[in-house]
Amino acid sequence: MMDILHNLAFGFEHALTWQNLLFCAIGCTVGTLVGLLPGLGPLATISLLLPLTYSIPTGGALIMLAGIYYGAQYGDSVSAITMKIPHASSIVACIDGYQMTLKGKTGLALFTAGVSSFIGGTVAIVVLSFLAPSLGEVAFLFGPADYCALMLVGFVCVSFVTTGSLLNGLAMCLIGILLGQIGTDVNSGLQRYTFDLPFLAEGVGLVSIALGCFGIAEISKNLDAREERTPFNGKIKLMPTWPEFKRIIPSALRGSAIGSFLGILPGGGPVIAQFAAYAIDKKVSKYRHEIGQGAIEGVAGQAAADEAAARTSFIPLMSIGIPENAVMALMMAAFVIKGIQPGPNMIAGHPDLFWGLVASMWVGNCFLLLLNVPLVRYWLSVFKIPYNVLFPAILFFCCIGTYSVNNNLDDIFVTAVFGFAGYLFMRLDMDAAPLMLGFILGPMLEENFRRAMLISRGSFHTFIERPISASLLGLVALFIGWQLLSFVLKSRRTGSEATPPVGESAVS
Amino acid sequence: MNNRNIVRGLFLGAIALSFGLGALQYPIGSFARAGAGLFPLLVSGLLLLIALLTLLRARFEKPVPLGFSLRNIGLVLVSLCGFALVSEKLNMVAGIVLMVFVASLASTSYSWKRCLKIAAGLVAVAFAFQKLLGLNLPLV
Repeated sequence: MMDILHNLAFGFEHALTWQNLLFCAIGCTVGTLVGLLPGLGPLATISLLLPLTYSIPTGGALIMLAGIYYGAQYGDSVSAITMKIPHASSIVACIDGYQMTLKGKTGLALFTAGVSSFIGGTVAIVVLSFLAPSLGEVAFLFGPADYCALMLVGFVCVSFVTTGSLLNGLAMCLIGILLGQIGTDVNSGLQRYTFDLPFLAEGVGLVSIALGCFGIAEISKNLDAREERTPFNGKIKLMPTWPEFKRIIPSALRGSAIGSFLGILPGGGPVIAQFAAYAIDKKVSKYRHEIGQGAIEGVAGQAAADEAAARTSFIPLMSIGIPENAVMALMMAAFVIKGIQPGPNMIAGHPDLFWGLVASMWVGNCFLLLLNVPLVRYWLSVFKIPYNVLFPAILFFCCIGTYSVNNNLDDIFVTAVFGFAGYLFMRLDMDAAPLMLGFILGPMLEENFRRAMLISRGSFHTFIERPISASLLGLVALFIGWQLLSFVLKSRRTGSEATPPVGESAVS
Repeated sequence: MNNRNIVRGLFLGAIALSFGLGALQYPIGSFARAGAGLFPLLVSGLLLLIALLTLLRARFEKPVPLGFSLRNIGLVLVSLCGFALVSEKLNMVAGIVLMVFVASLASTSYSWKRCLKIAAGLVAVAFAFQKLLGLNLPLV
């Protein structure tokens, strides 16, 4: 206990320097701003803003990246509440939040979301500072086979959670892994799938894939839809009355607990946490009959869960070194660009970075509250920019973002290729988020797989003999079996509905 | 043929085959001493399996029509490639102007005055990036 307080104090020492405060503030502000823009979720926002951090010292860069991440997350929920523009990351906020806007209670909804996010973030940081170091010790027990199994669990969970269809999601993961194979093979030095193009020798750029699949493809989709949005012009009354304020607290605390827990699990993260918190509020809240029609609880619980999960999902990344969802995978790549390998050695090797980051999360929390609650009306003017002006600008930022990774114009062609691929994926109803995870984990999976096979002299028994990997693979098998069973049951049910006479005769 | 589920299966199969056949060109080795081609071969094998399952499942599900319009994505991609080419041959300011004018063809209404304003704004932002953030942009 004292250790943790001591460590946190140490962290605040680092987070509260003028320089780092500034980076945190810039990160939160820019993240919120870009997150507000239609069609740019956290994944696109982070990859778009990644170049900003290149010329910043490591500690500050990590703090700024984290700020960008939760700024983007929060900006998303603001656009969801006021204009019902959902990204993948804020679908739930659209339900009650937008209903409250329709009732003219936008200010109250935004205040609720802001305060609940603050509560959720604070709870999550406490969880983070207790759990991350102890989980890090568990990570030292992991061998290569266990790492492989853990990544497979992550793939299966992410595939199911983000796309709802295991088959589609897994396909995207595998495509991601294959894309990660492009470039020089670390073990043999052989170039794979490079077609002798020099700029592919080091692999496809991560930023190119992210901006292509999430930025360019999203822009094209919005252009196809051609819906003109009416900007939000309503009045905003922010301060709630005391009884209203009292309704926020229990729901937000519930949401924080659920979010903190779900954020840690593989495949977990903000999206699933929001749904879970919303569902539980609907079951147990004192005002459950109002939820769905613009109740405070419907906003508070999910906002707290969202923010809590966004922060606790750092735990597996920083303690075990395996990102559990696509956004964290992107974060990991960003850490690696700055020369930091997240994992059990990070906490011990760079305590200033780790605890500074944890402390800065709370500082970021305060910034977000400050930025969003009193200043939210100024943010909303972003929506007054027509899309015809906005999208060439987003394209420009995509170009600059891609170019400045290596100062290489060829990378823009790669981005264009992935823009087309991303558009295809979107039209084929395949979510690109698992692809991102597969792409970043792919090389690690290969490395660990090869190592495990080398140790076991080519025998697959090692995966079953080691207790950790055996139980993790058991989970995967259980999950796939359950999916298969539910698919068979479902198709049998629809089949029997289509031919009722057969079903009836079977019953009789 | 205009069924999204079937197209998806075929698409996945094509990716799996192209990566899988590519992997065969590299040394495979054995499981104990894996060559460069082993892992991609395994992964594309799995992907092929999923592609077949997708095709199989598509037979049991209602067909979903595939919506696809090439115009907007085409314009966006042309503007990106144009930006890269012109920036390389000439300079980035010209690239930005070209990109804005081509991309705006995809918007709901076209006005060259607006394009000019957007382009001017973006060039200003680019100069700010170069001078303030120290990004190495070949602007002039």
